[in-house]
Amino acid sequence: MQELLLSYLPILIFLALVVGMSVVFMAASYFAAEQKPDTAKLVGYECGFTPFADARSQFDVRFYLVALLFIIFDLEVAFLFPWAITLGDLGAFGFWSMFVFLLILTVGFVYEWKKGALEWE
Amino acid sequence: MVLQEITFYLFSAIIVASGVMVIAARNPVHSVLFLILAFFNAAGLFILVGAEFLAMIMVIVYVGAVAVLFLFVVMMLDINYVELRQGFLNYLPIGALIGFILLVELVFVLGTRFATPETVGATGAPIPPLSEMTNTEALGQVLYTRYIYLFQASGMVLLVAMIGAIVLTLRERGGVRRQSIARQVARRRDEAVEVRKVTPGSGI
Repeated sequence: MQELLLSYLPILIFLALVVGMSVVFMAASYFAAEQKPDTAKLVGYECGFTPFADARSQFDVRFYLVALLFIIFDLEVAFLFPWAITLGDLGAFGFWSMFVFLLILTVGFVYEWKKGALEWE
Repeated sequence: MVLQEITFYLFSAIIVASGVMVIAARNPVHSVLFLILAFFNAAGLFILVGAEFLAMIMVIVYVGAVAVLFLFVVMMLDINYVELRQGFLNYLPIGALIGFILLVELVFVLGTRFATPETVGATGAPIPPLSEMTNTEALGQVLYTRYIYLFQASGMVLLVAMIGAIVLTLRERGGVRRQSIARQVARRRDEAVEVRKVTPGSGI
């Protein structure tokens, strides 16, 4: 347990360093720089002209579909990690159990392909 | 050991604070960003208890995918934030009820630890100590063989989610000219080009 945590100690040190440095940068620019804010400076930059609308605009639901399909395959890959490192001990049963799992998801993948969900119009 | 405790309290404090900010932030996009911060700190807590695999999944799936999905939802909905704020008191009772149920569940889970301490270790597949094998390995040892039905059921759930997402969001749009690479490649010269004799002085 201790060894495991010690192996993560460098990450913790880096994290503390990153937080510390970003605080220093923000504070330095807040205190050291001369600040004269006006509307033109504070507004979002849009290639030179004044912005028409809020940056948050509605977009097509198909982006959502792409993200959702990404999550599903992400989870599929998450199942592959423990399987990959224990494959030597699992034997044929564990090997084929993963293949059935992958086959089920391939059915979904073929459906999605044939349905045209991956195509961009 | 002291460092471990300091990190634990630090991570927990940030989780609670960002959890409060998720519901208190005025801008929903900021709420999602605080949610991502909470996820990261939860991953830190998982590492502190030795659950490396869960921490990794937390970062990959929750931060990498679920948070992006939440951002998409926030971006996609056309909501009036001022109007949304006004309904806060109407939703307070049901929110309080759900919070209360969660609290009771937590009390039950922690209560068994104190009421009957002997049942804590009596799980179906006890976790081997970290000195013997890593967390991910311990999971792999039982997930694909001993718990195969649950594993396959999760595959089915993913399949249903995939089909459901496609059925709900896929819209065929008419009048779209698609590129057909097969047709382009299969096209031959004699289909596309015609050679005509042109007599001088007259057109075709």
